[in-house]
Amino acid sequence: MAGEMSGEAKKVPVYCYQCVAGPDLLVVKVKDGVALEVEPNFQLAGIHPGGGKCCVKAYGLVQKLYNPNRLLQPMKRTNPKKGRDEDPGFVHISWDEALDIVAGKLNQIRARGLTDESGYPRVAASFGGGGVPTYYMGTFPAFLAAWGPIDFSFGSGQGVKCYHSEHLFGELWHRAFTVVPDTPSCNYILSFGCNVEASGGVTSVLRHAQARVNKYTKRVQIEPHLSVTGACSAEWVPIKPKTDAAFMFAMLHTMLHEQARERLDLDFLRQYTGSPYLVGPNGYFLRERASRKPLLWDLKRNGAVPFDTPDADPALEGSFTCDGIEVGPDDQVWQHHAVSAETSFTKLVAHIKPYTPEWAEKICDIRTGTIRRVAGEYLDHAQVGATTVVDGMTLPLRPVAITLGKTVNNGWGGYECCWARTLISCLVGAIEVPGGILGTIVRLNRPATTRQASVAKGPDGFMAYPVNPTDKENWVSRPNVRNAHSMLVPLSANSPWSTALGPTHLAWMFRKESPKNWPKVTAPDLWFVYRTNPAISFADSPEVTRRIAEFPFIVCFTYARDETNYMADVLLPEATDLESTQLIPIGGTGAGEQFWDSKGFALRQPVVPPRGETREFTDIATDLAKRTGLLERYNQAINLGAVAVPLKGDNYDFELDPASAHSAEEIWDAACRSASARLTGGEETDGLGWYQEHGFKTRPISRLQWYLFPEIVKQGIRFEMPYQEQLLRIGGQLGNRLHEQGIAWWDTQLKEYQALPAWKDFPGVWEQDTVRLGGKPEEFPFWLLTARSMQYSWGSNVGIPLMDEVSKNVKGHHGVVINAGKARELGLNDGDLIEVRSALRSTRGRAVLTQGIRPDTLLMLGQFDHWATPYAKDMGTPSMNTLTSMSLELTDATGSIADIVRVGVARIAA
Amino acid sequence: MPRYVMVVDLRSCVGCQTCTAACRHANATPPGVQWRQVLDIESGEYPDVRRTFMPVGCMHCGDPPCMHVCPSTATYQRDDGLVGINYDLCIGCGYCAVACPYQARHIVHRASFAYGDQPTESEAARFDEKRVSVATKCTFCVERIDEAKEKGLTPGVHPEVTPACVNSCIAEALHFGDKQDPQSKVSRLIKDNDSFRMHEELGTDPGMYYLWDGHK
Repeated sequence: MAGEMSGEAKKVPVYCYQCVAGPDLLVVKVKDGVALEVEPNFQLAGIHPGGGKCCVKAYGLVQKLYNPNRLLQPMKRTNPKKGRDEDPGFVHISWDEALDIVAGKLNQIRARGLTDESGYPRVAASFGGGGVPTYYMGTFPAFLAAWGPIDFSFGSGQGVKCYHSEHLFGELWHRAFTVVPDTPSCNYILSFGCNVEASGGVTSVLRHAQARVNKYTKRVQIEPHLSVTGACSAEWVPIKPKTDAAFMFAMLHTMLHEQARERLDLDFLRQYTGSPYLVGPNGYFLRERASRKPLLWDLKRNGAVPFDTPDADPALEGSFTCDGIEVGPDDQVWQHHAVSAETSFTKLVAHIKPYTPEWAEKICDIRTGTIRRVAGEYLDHAQVGATTVVDGMTLPLRPVAITLGKTVNNGWGGYECCWARTLISCLVGAIEVPGGILGTIVRLNRPATTRQASVAKGPDGFMAYPVNPTDKENWVSRPNVRNAHSMLVPLSANSPWSTALGPTHLAWMFRKESPKNWPKVTAPDLWFVYRTNPAISFADSPEVTRRIAEFPFIVCFTYARDETNYMADVLLPEATDLESTQLIPIGGTGAGEQFWDSKGFALRQPVVPPRGETREFTDIATDLAKRTGLLERYNQAINLGAVAVPLKGDNYDFELDPASAHSAEEIWDAACRSASARLTGGEETDGLGWYQEHGFKTRPISRLQWYLFPEIVKQGIRFEMPYQEQLLRIGGQLGNRLHEQGIAWWDTQLKEYQALPAWKDFPGVWEQDTVRLGGKPEEFPFWLLTARSMQYSWGSNVGIPLMDEVSKNVKGHHGVVINAGKARELGLNDGDLIEVRSALRSTRGRAVLTQGIRPDTLLMLGQFDHWATPYAKDMGTPSMNTLTSMSLELTDATGSIADIVRVGVARIAA
Repeated sequence: MPRYVMVVDLRSCVGCQTCTAACRHANATPPGVQWRQVLDIESGEYPDVRRTFMPVGCMHCGDPPCMHVCPSTATYQRDDGLVGINYDLCIGCGYCAVACPYQARHIVHRASFAYGDQPTESEAARFDEKRVSVATKCTFCVERIDEAKEKGLTPGVHPEVTPACVNSCIAEALHFGDKQDPQSKVSRLIKDNDSFRMHEELGTDPGMYYLWDGHK
């Protein structure tokens, strides 16, 4: 708590990581021990790509600190019955009693065994989206690591509310957990529902504003409603929901069938993609018999050669006669002699031929001229052949990018959209080069130190990917966590993030009713919950609430009462954002558009002492470790890096004595010293006191770290485009494994594993779901969508009045957005109370009339419908989560469903 | 003498309300009193619709109608163009609120707080009884500007002496400075871009300039 301001006031540097696009660094003015106001941290102005600014959510932190609705003492439940209609009967208890109860339960579990009779971990944990809670939970991750198996299956929105398909396919194709434009160098952006001005954080907002104003970057927003991002775009194209893949397929048609081939980056396609790979008659790459390497046709030798033949001149297009083998699922081999094989690119061209703009017009409700113009503009801006110099290295410059938003890049159709977007980028070489699309971070690939470090060449010349095995010998034939990601979703890999990136809704669904030939999905003996509220944040939230109520023992780290901790057995009030200490990495590249020219660490620290009996999360974790006999393993996890940095490195050693309990201050001092040493090669060892005064420490990095292309060139790797032979084989093998176990209920998902994905009637999936639920289609004529809000997204801040107040200035908050013309037809006026009903159930809210939405579409921003959270429960704000269903029918092969549902509306009489 | 003005780049503004929240913080205004606010404006009909975000507040007019109607001389204009209110003189009659074409004036007649009748510690520390039942409005964070000279700093350049909304803006949409200085950023922005002022036809000589691409 340092940094003198004038007089007695101080400015205390901290970070805000209330959303995945952070952290934002800020200072809090404190006077006479009272936090007064938030300001940007201008010390960071020249270093931070957002100019050192913090987003609107950070300004809610002072009200969050002093919220009288906070829980300031531990509590325990006295009513053993759980449910929305059961008063929990919470009573105050001491910390000692609270931790004794929790540790007692944990010790019982350990004595019984860490996994239950179904093989599932007895302890489960759920945290909020995007890894945000990690940077508020102190050393609790070290406790979890010390514990052993934990089930993170019970999602709080993952797979529904995230960029799910993009996460998986992005990591597969270019180490891109999320995909963004290289905005500072990009001149043309097609945004399919990517609401970057609401959800991209301060770095994205500034980069896009500068691009618009300083270099006239054109952004076309293709989205059913005129979002904040659409408002800031040059053009809004109101596409019919869930038809984005058709638009992009028609763009591909235009580029491949209507434009001159030379407009594409043909050298890039030949050299850096799988386009020249030959495909055999069974749909698999034609391979050299001995080496099993994919073959391409060498124009120089006039014959087929392995893909990595150094001096080959690969044919991009054509059909060739050659020998080879195809390798299908489970090592099925087809031997070929003088067989006709086409290049992957030729297969692509034929595949895309039917998808004309005229075809797409009927599906997307967008005129053919618009689609052709957009495709042409994309090519016009691509500057194929141009180069630029980055940090002394000449790289291709391709200033065009396509971004995808939530609901576009998850659920059915997500694969097709991700494939088409990545492919279009590859056609002009606009991937992982200046101006094009870039990945931000890796979560599934390892090591996660940098994206570059995670790149390795696979046997077929593409980036190797840690696919969960589907072969008979190695397939995980019984789920080891309740959402079974390693069984059902091979692309979810097996990193610490993988469980959360599996089909997390299956854990909830299967609790109610397990499908055929599936082990019973048990309730966890103990469930930890922090900074998440699945009882309102998931699809079909009332159903999730009922499942939560079945859990026998729930421990919630609690800021204030909410709908999930209403079912808790013990509430533990942690010292929150402005009251506790933690170190966070900053810089490098990261979610949102965090592209820095430096990297380092920043500190969060108490600006005032913790209120009431709230306690440092780190101290809670240490206490739990002590009481459960895990102190040594807990300390070892801290030493290994559970505090954002390993405490021992090449030129430093601040490791903690594993046998002793350490205070939060000791632990974070060691973390700070290690961070300083790590950044300076051991020259500096500034500790907690230094960070408390200065807030952060950084060192410069090369901008080349933004781009993967140099690493691709260095390792001689190709992007796995256009032909998804690997996926085809994985799908075949997975089908074999599941069928061997008598599981046929994943067959629809298996159909998604196509080498060249075809358009399916994606909107029809949701129309059919209405019928499945017993609804008559004509009674549900609207699409209901949602959108993120900068004021709220990821923030766990719905109980903060300032956020409520300022969000009301942005149209659509707190109501149901409906097209004004359509509303008039229905006799609805602005502010009318309306019922919105799906085939599942109904909710109500005030009509918000606007011209900026399709007449067949409604919108509910954010996630609300609270009934227990103080302040929020009185807002009367509706949520689509009440109306959406969870079902296998809505689940795609990546284990994702999407935020969309068919609804009807009716005015509620005054 | 300087003439302090604000330049708003409508091409940059994303309507995030960070400036609104920052102003509420810096000036400790009560709930609902937004000296700085961003309007969310829709024009056209589906599908030809534009949505524009427009920061508004006191324009610190060169010829402020609020001052002319003030019966108690509470509203005054400084030589540097800033329009202020002397709370000791204001009688809360509300004439100024009616006269202001920008709806920039606020009057509250009872104290209110974020969580109900009782202030939080933070609100209690900053509560100013003088602001009840008087007109209030954006001051361009006048205290900071007054500190500029003694600190040798320049408003609009150095954050310490720049209005909180400008400091907070995450899109570089808000700019502040002396329009009399041809080298100031605001002068250059006005010179180099198309701009308009709100209700300029009323002759108020407003001190907020909006950059836009309307002529392109």
